[in-house]
Amino acid sequence: MRKKINFYLIEYAINAILRQKYKNIFIATTLTFLIFLLTSIFFITNSIKYELNSTVDALPEIVVQKIKAGRHYDIETHATEEILAITGVVDAVARVWGYYYFENAGVNFSLVGVDEFEAQYKESLQRVVETSELMNTQDSSMVVGRGVKDTMQKNYYKDYFNFIKPDGTLKRVDLVGVFDGDTQLESNDIIVMSKADVREIFDMRESMATDIVVKVSNPDEVATIASKIKLVFPDSRIITKNDLKISYQNIFDYKSGIFLALFVVSLFTFFIIIYDKASGLSSEEKREIGILKAIGWRVDDVLKEKFYEGFIISFFSYMIGVILAVGFVYIFQAPLLQNIFTGYSQLKTSFELPFIFDVQTLFLVFFLSVPIYIAATIIPSWKISTLDADEVIR
Amino acid sequence: MIELKNVTKSYEINKNNIVVALNDVSMKIGEGELVVLRGASGSGKSSVLSLIAALSKPTTGEVIVDTKQISKLPDNFASEYRRDNIGFVFQKYNLITTLSVKENILLPLVPLNPDPDDADEKLTRVMEMFKISHKKDAIIKNLSGGEQQRVAIARANVNEPKIIIADEPTANLDEKLSLHFIEMLKELKKLNKTIVIATHDPLFFGLDIVDREIEMHNGAII
Ligand SMILES: Nc1ncnc2c1ncn2[C@@H]1O[C@H](COP(=O)(O)OP(=O)(O)O)[C@@H](O)[C@H]1O
Ligand SMILES: [Mg+2]
Repeated sequence: MRKKINFYLIEYAINAILRQKYKNIFIATTLTFLIFLLTSIFFITNSIKYELNSTVDALPEIVVQKIKAGRHYDIETHATEEILAITGVVDAVARVWGYYYFENAGVNFSLVGVDEFEAQYKESLQRVVETSELMNTQDSSMVVGRGVKDTMQKNYYKDYFNFIKPDGTLKRVDLVGVFDGDTQLESNDIIVMSKADVREIFDMRESMATDIVVKVSNPDEVATIASKIKLVFPDSRIITKNDLKISYQNIFDYKSGIFLALFVVSLFTFFIIIYDKASGLSSEEKREIGILKAIGWRVDDVLKEKFYEGFIISFFSYMIGVILAVGFVYIFQAPLLQNIFTGYSQLKTSFELPFIFDVQTLFLVFFLSVPIYIAATIIPSWKISTLDADEVIR
Repeated sequence: MIELKNVTKSYEINKNNIVVALNDVSMKIGEGELVVLRGASGSGKSSVLSLIAALSKPTTGEVIVDTKQISKLPDNFASEYRRDNIGFVFQKYNLITTLSVKENILLPLVPLNPDPDDADEKLTRVMEMFKISHKKDAIIKNLSGGEQQRVAIARANVNEPKIIIADEPTANLDEKLSLHFIEMLKELKKLNKTIVIATHDPLFFGLDIVDREIEMHNGAII
């Protein structure tokens, strides 16, 4: 028959912790801080990885640009027909877009043109076309990302905006809606309007486009199709999703190297604590174990008590450390640590760490801390408690 | 009840230095008997007490308590044997000095996970019997030597053992407190406990409650 939980033993363990108050407060504080640091690192890395992946996933598989003397030029829209003729290509869409520099705020907006009768190369754009008022109004109109809306509002543009065309004249565009993208990174600085309006603002001829995005039926064929397009248009640059993924990944790997260093430092500190604990008991602690044995405690009674001691301290530190990490990373958006990822903010202006409840990280940090600490508490006591009590208390 | 059969005990201090603490000792102690082991310091009295309490094992020979071979018990069974049968009043008391009186007395019961009412009742009983109730929340290190000994005796009795062992119980007490201790012994004798006391204090010699004195010298009985 299993007996119920022995509260006398737990009470004894709590007493034992309190009797060495300052030492244990120091240990618990250090442990908490290390667990906090470790968990934060994992949380940030995972969030950014997730954000990167969804950004990359939203990118077109192939983008075709026209290059002259190494410089990007507009491409003829009829090139789509030749690309569509290549086997394996499902769709080719000419995009009309460009960066518009908004001088008052000193930021770039992405102007993206859409066409009601064309399939959009991206789902989020399709949604804008289907659900907003964009295509139903007579005058020029636009739907903007939240970041754009805020920036415009700060500069006293509420219902419309005057774009300055290359010849210096103004183009008024009405604001008819705000949209959310699939990810933070892509949606914030985007302005969606009709292709005709974008062409007008950038002074682009009707037969031209900024680039062409290509959809393929089988993702494994991307490389083959890319080289076929290159054959047809020798003066083009073909950018595949994979290229972008690699360059994003490079930034990320470089940054996570810094995190790795932090990670190693915290593990190192942790093992110093563990080593100190495991390397032996004070004569006072030894005597106490001897006394307990002498008055009838069994070895496993002593070890159970030590288990509670180790568990209370390490689990308490674990919980506090994890709670602090969640608050730090997801509520306060990891001040200080996020700055290590400043390379990241070069990609886009504003960026929030998305909350990802990552059980794996919690488990990993748990197994790196709690059982190791408990073992370090139990093992030296185990050595003493198996000696003859007589020897220990003499 | 308690029997030592041809017991020797030697301690190996280092390779070429072995101390023989007991040399071919045999004795029998009956149930309810109060026996005093006397002899000079170093004669082997404490070693006999340790063997009876299964705190150590004889080098050769046997220790038998209630037909059980104490000297052959594996460590965990030795702990249980002590827990169920032995109340040991150590020479240096061996209290946990940073805990309170109450907590110290309860220690032998902790691994049994007792029912709280039951534990309270046992605690109150021994604290009253050995007159330490008024100090139950005091921390041991703030107590006088006499009070500490009361706590040690109360702790030795909380699990209601059949055998009480005391090692030099009056060594740290003045005469008045020593006489108090003898009063407490009388109480225990009334309860028909088997009592073994190691001492060189003449106060115990020829005492009416003492059933027998065993004299030791250089690890042997004389
Ligand atoms: N754990 C031990 N290690 C080494 N020597 C010991 C140990 N315990 C006792 N002795 C030695 O054994 C002898 C008997 O000691 P002990 O039984 O304590 O005698 P007493 O209690 O009569 O003073 C002494 O010489 C003592 O130094
Ligand atoms: Mg002695």
